[in-house]
Amino acid sequence: MIEARDLVKRFDGVLAVHQVSFLAPDGEITALLGPNGAGKTTTLRMIATLVAPTQGSARVDGIDATKDPLAVRARIGMLSDARGLYGRLTARENIAYYAALRGLRAAQAEESIERLADMLDMQPLLDRRTDGFSQGERMKVAIARALVHDPPNVMLDEPSNGLDVMTTRNLREVIRRLRDAGKCVLFSSHVMQEVSALCDNIVIVARGSVVASGRAPELLAASGRDNLEDAFVHLAGGGVA
Amino acid sequence: MPLLVVYLKELRDALRDRRTALMVLVASILTGPVTLVLVAQFISGLEEKSATLKVRMVGQENAAALVNFLKRSDVEIESAPKDYEARIKEGRLDAVIVVPQDFEEHYLAGDGAKLEIIYDDSRTDSGPAIRQAERLLRAFNREAGMLRMITRGVSPDLTEPVKVQHVNTATPRQKGAFLLFLITMFAILSPLLGGMTIAIDSTAGERERGSLEPLLANPVPAWQVVIGKWLAAWTFATGVATLTLGGFVIAASFYARERLAAMMAFGAPEFAQFVAMVIPFAAMTSALQILICTYGRSYREAQTYVSYLATVVSFVPMIVMFSGLKDSFWQLLVPVLAQQVVLARVVRGDGLDILDWALPAAIAFAIAAAAVVGVARLLREERIVFGRN
Repeated sequence: MIEARDLVKRFDGVLAVHQVSFLAPDGEITALLGPNGAGKTTTLRMIATLVAPTQGSARVDGIDATKDPLAVRARIGMLSDARGLYGRLTARENIAYYAALRGLRAAQAEESIERLADMLDMQPLLDRRTDGFSQGERMKVAIARALVHDPPNVMLDEPSNGLDVMTTRNLREVIRRLRDAGKCVLFSSHVMQEVSALCDNIVIVARGSVVASGRAPELLAASGRDNLEDAFVHLAGGGVA
Repeated sequence: MPLLVVYLKELRDALRDRRTALMVLVASILTGPVTLVLVAQFISGLEEKSATLKVRMVGQENAAALVNFLKRSDVEIESAPKDYEARIKEGRLDAVIVVPQDFEEHYLAGDGAKLEIIYDDSRTDSGPAIRQAERLLRAFNREAGMLRMITRGVSPDLTEPVKVQHVNTATPRQKGAFLLFLITMFAILSPLLGGMTIAIDSTAGERERGSLEPLLANPVPAWQVVIGKWLAAWTFATGVATLTLGGFVIAASFYARERLAAMMAFGAPEFAQFVAMVIPFAAMTSALQILICTYGRSYREAQTYVSYLATVVSFVPMIVMFSGLKDSFWQLLVPVLAQQVVLARVVRGDGLDILDWALPAAIAFAIAAAAVVGVARLLREERIVFGRN
């Protein structure tokens, strides 16, 4: 469970995130939906303890991110905006590195890697160096790396960026499976269709603030529109128009 | 222990880097020993040139007295080829004595007979041959002058009131010190070279690759990550330095049976003392490299900063060499200078105090610790982790 309470972040006088609050429960998929520059990445980084909030707090499974950052990190698997791999290491070594950093024993790590490789359909990739991997292949390794310790909370920052249709479909399947396993899934996106196809809860963010949140039908009702895209444009303040 | 995990990963990553293999090969195994061999060859060449007394002359038939003198002094006389001036310019001939046709006539008359020595003094390796020719002519001059004074009843001592005798106290080993000075320079620069790639790659490179943010999202305190990376850079710095110095030991052993042996004393005891000095020094340089690379905005910027550091460090041996600094205690307190001074002492064969090792080592470790703390602090700054524009 991930909870944001009045998160505020100011960078050199610029207000990037302003009083963002929401709740992402376990066993559901929650999306932060908003145009580029709305403050989605910064919000996720504050929850992941990579950025200190100017005000407010983030809690993961009831643990305050600023008070016990290591415990929070241990309970999150994060696919961040930056998803670089070590090109001279094989996919397996890349994933095993993170497993070791999270305190998994070698046998546990190996088991977890096999399980994730099956789930992500990446068995043939495992023992190749990641140097020449395609975007989709890199993404698989990055996801496996983020999930290797089987975290109860999963955060994905714009996961489908740069992926082709097939890989995006696979990714959606993975996200659904994580939800079905009872995990709290929080992801950010600026792609309307992706969010509507996948999410239980939607938090619309624009210019650093939450402008609306709830389930899809609730958002439609609140905006008085009959499809989600219009509702988004209306609620986000017609930012793009 | 997460820091061990980071350490082992960085080592593995760097060992698979082709640049690492290249650096180890070129920098450590080739550069040092090859330089040493070339310098040694150069020096032995100089000695040979002056050891066999030989002059090249043009017009020797015009100077019977001089030729007679040279033959009495066991000097080999060789006629210079016709194109001697061109050959001297090209560096194929060192010096030629040219005797004009009217030399004998003026010499016998005692009214200022003239000779020429032709040489090109921009070629340093012809110096000994030039000096030898001068020395021989001066000796001939003195002998002829003395004979003339004696025939006139004047004591030759009148013209030479002071007799200078040379007594050189330098042991052969000290003579070679300038050559071994090279080894100290390599000992100081090789850790910088060895730690460089891994320091850049694991900091600025990590960020540029986009793997720093996910790495820091792991439940591992930043200081453990930093120490792991630093230990890896330190290992490489020490490794490359040890290989370099080992190369010198091997190169020096080639000369064990030659006349240069005494000058090239760089064996196991010297090697051990060098490595003992270099290990703490490498701890400092690799920590500093990681610090400045973490600050660098990009891989390129980090590379530039690291080369500045190498330049600054390499200036110190130069300063010592050209300023003629005398040994004194305060030098042990200045990083790099301390290593330079102590290593030079090892090379000269002077004994070392435990303080000579302990003081520079303590200072190096203190600086390394401060740098590591600095890097851990930097990694807590958002602008460092996510990059600045």
